[in-house]
Amino acid sequence: MAEEKKERSEAESQLKSRKHSIARPVVGLALISLTACGLIFPLVITGIAQLFFPYQANGEIVQFDGRAIGSNLIGNNFTLPIFFHGRNQSQSASHVDPDITLQDAYSQIPRISLATGIPSTSLKQLVNENVEGTFWIFGSPYVNVLRLNLALIKEYPSIYNESLLK
Amino acid sequence: MLQPIQALDLVLLFAVVLVSSYFLASYIVRIYTRKPSWLDSFFSPIENIIYRVSGVDQDRTMGWKEYFLSALLLNIVQMLIAFIILVFQSRLPLNPQHFSALSWDLAFNTVVSFATNTNLQHYAGEKTLSYFSQMTAIQFLQFTSAATGISCGVAMVRGFVTNSKGLGNFYVDFVRSLTRLYFPLCFVASIILVYLGVPQTLGGYSTVRTVEGATQSVLVGPVASLVSIMQLGTNGGGYYGANSAYPFQNPTPITNLAEIFLMLLIPTALTFVFGQMIGKRRESIPVVAGAYSLFAIDLIIAFIPNQVQVGPGIETRFGGFMSTFWTVVTTSVTTGSVNSNLSGMHPLAILSAFMGMMVQSIPGGKGVGLMYMIMYIIITIFIVGLMSGRTPEYLGMKITARDVKLVMLAFLIHPLIIIVPTVVAFASGAASAIGVSSSSIGYTQILYEFVSSAANNGSDFFGASANTLFFNVSTALVMFVGRYGPLACLLAISGSMIGRKRTSGSSSIRTDSLPFCVVLVASILLLVVLTFFPFLALGPILSYYQGHVNSFA
Repeated sequence: MAEEKKERSEAESQLKSRKHSIARPVVGLALISLTACGLIFPLVITGIAQLFFPYQANGEIVQFDGRAIGSNLIGNNFTLPIFFHGRNQSQSASHVDPDITLQDAYSQIPRISLATGIPSTSLKQLVNENVEGTFWIFGSPYVNVLRLNLALIKEYPSIYNESLLK
Repeated sequence: MLQPIQALDLVLLFAVVLVSSYFLASYIVRIYTRKPSWLDSFFSPIENIIYRVSGVDQDRTMGWKEYFLSALLLNIVQMLIAFIILVFQSRLPLNPQHFSALSWDLAFNTVVSFATNTNLQHYAGEKTLSYFSQMTAIQFLQFTSAATGISCGVAMVRGFVTNSKGLGNFYVDFVRSLTRLYFPLCFVASIILVYLGVPQTLGGYSTVRTVEGATQSVLVGPVASLVSIMQLGTNGGGYYGANSAYPFQNPTPITNLAEIFLMLLIPTALTFVFGQMIGKRRESIPVVAGAYSLFAIDLIIAFIPNQVQVGPGIETRFGGFMSTFWTVVTTSVTTGSVNSNLSGMHPLAILSAFMGMMVQSIPGGKGVGLMYMIMYIIITIFIVGLMSGRTPEYLGMKITARDVKLVMLAFLIHPLIIIVPTVVAFASGAASAIGVSSSSIGYTQILYEFVSSAANNGSDFFGASANTLFFNVSTALVMFVGRYGPLACLLAISGSMIGRKRTSGSSSIRTDSLPFCVVLVASILLLVVLTFFPFLALGPILSYYQGHVNSFA
């Protein structure tokens, strides 16, 4: 009798420990993975990124005239006739496409030339100097609108400072 | 049509992917066969602490049922944690934009979506989720679902290894997937992505005044760490609503290539892992050949139409060529990230995307893609066996009636959970409620939503506009069944292979031969076409003949 009882209680405790062995790993691993994947990993990457690549890590903010005027990577909405304009953003996938094709840039040259008096050939040269997007056998050429306009201001400070002050 | 230089781009990219994943494969095999390695002195102490804290007996091997249930239970607990985080978002830290809490149905959809590695998103992350949620709900589940997927894939392979004792220990596989595979790879990938221009900050959105005096918000956050796992883990869910079309998530043509590489790396490596683990490298031939010849067919279909350089839905820095190519890759490896707006895609590119999601092993999501390919191999052996009058055998083991039944069940779950909810969506008015028309275009959009959910892909046409009770709940159920249903069937087959008698195999079909590969590809096409053709005919094929070019908008 006593042996039987002992056997039964052993079997029961085994059963108990098996039940226990499912709940503990599941809950334990869920919490450990939450901490490791959801907190430690992104925080470590944030630390390293801020330490070594602060410019990229904070969104490539462009400084001009002593203040932040936008990000290199986010389409900046230019509307004045003296600047190159970005895409019609309802047509892009991100709605903040920062780039335009070369054809698009060339097609805007007559308008800018008319508004500023800068000769078309100079504008075309400026566009060509700012082409990016190709490397080795990859990619197709485009221009970044913000960078192109900043190059324009830098090239013709007298014209642009006057227009922007107005 | 492709220009020669574009074809050269693709050849070069694939050469790099194949070579890297071949080397990665032997590393992956060492992780899961637990061969002693010089890395043990670094990883083992960490892992041993995790095992001790969570009471894991690392030497115990599991049968298929225990392996599957452990995975399912762990995933459910992880979903619960993420659900609580999302519905209490407004009271949790790191919420500089003061975003409000998510509704229960959107939170339910989101946690099922990320825990099943689908990453269908009915929200735009940059307008909905706090930094805390992006990290502890989204990135958390992206890591764990990737680790779960690859563990199950490897477990299935173990069933086919000679003298195998069991499918392994799920908890050990899960932990080692994270410590030895995903954390190291994602660490390197995140740092490179930051260097190339992807933000990684908790500093909040900044507001700037433009040259012309307008104000603009710059929406930054912990993006790079999320992008690394979303691509390497074939998750696909983006930080931003526009996914990898948003410049902060994919800033240049170089990051675009890098992210395509990250997506293809592990799924391709797993095709080699199969042969290495079962100790017969040649048995990887049908897996690799099957996956990549179907990939080639996908590419040919997608590149029949002329590629626009930049059109509606296409980002300037990628152009039509790289956008179409991305779409084919992302649906083939069931990642589901997008670098364009699908509405800008040609119907044939969409048809190709459907193919990728319906086959699910070109080479498919990590782990699961390999499982599906083994499933197709078993079906093909069965068909060939019937035609040639031989006993169907794989690796010297007889394929039994139960195996074939389970394989067919795993395969048929898929069309069932696609077509039923598609019909219900139109019949119940749920489709028209979100402005979807009853045309070939509207039908394609709804069909895509459920195919993408069932295949655990996650790319879609709707995004936040499908944030309705019907679509949140229905797609969540489809994702859940689409993930765990086939997983259970395929692990069950593998589990029953253990201890099965093996013949020398001289009379059986040689699965590492060219004729078998050809028959395999033909059978997969036949199976998928026969099952899905009526759906596709009403959708993208009809749109094509109606002359739509990129009018899925």
